[in-house]
Amino acid sequence: MNTFFDVVSAVLIIAGATVALIAAIGVVALRDARSAMHAAAKPASLGVLLCGSGAVLQLDDLSSVSKLVVVVIIQFVTAPVGAHMLSHGVSSDTDSSDDTYN
Amino acid sequence: MNVAFTIALVILLIAAAIVSSRAIRRGTIGDRAVAIDGLTALITCGLLIAAGLTGNSTFLDLALVLGLLAFLTSVTVARFIERRGL
Repeated sequence: MNTFFDVVSAVLIIAGATVALIAAIGVVALRDARSAMHAAAKPASLGVLLCGSGAVLQLDDLSSVSKLVVVVIIQFVTAPVGAHMLSHGVSSDTDSSDDTYN
Repeated sequence: MNVAFTIALVILLIAAAIVSSRAIRRGTIGDRAVAIDGLTALITCGLLIAAGLTGNSTFLDLALVLGLLAFLTSVTVARFIERRGL
């Protein structure tokens, strides 16, 4: 059973790191700031969820597990709000005023 | 088991290097703010992986504080850009 948890945890953590790497490539490859935000907002929730659920299988005491759940929940609440505020600020700048979706 | 965690940490390090290259290179303040917002999410992932690897719950405290500070930072920078019209 312990080996099973280890394998599931390894798969989840490698998946989370791969999502983060793909998103990082997207941040560099996409030209506009708002297009890059489309890529950058993914690991903020999905990557943290995958890495957190991989790490929670390795923890054994209740205080660590509850702390990790709080981390993931706070990330899920604040990341979309922060990205929305940032997109609102970026879309009002003068450099992207010639975009089609302004 | 430790091999998988180390591989994931190396992948996250490569991703952080790529994202911070955008934060250093690209011009406008919006580009840099987006890149740094992504960078804090990568650091949070790395802290969660480190907590799972070592079993040390101090990394979870760090991840909690970093998540709250990242939200505060992105909101502050967004309002700054909006106010100043940068």
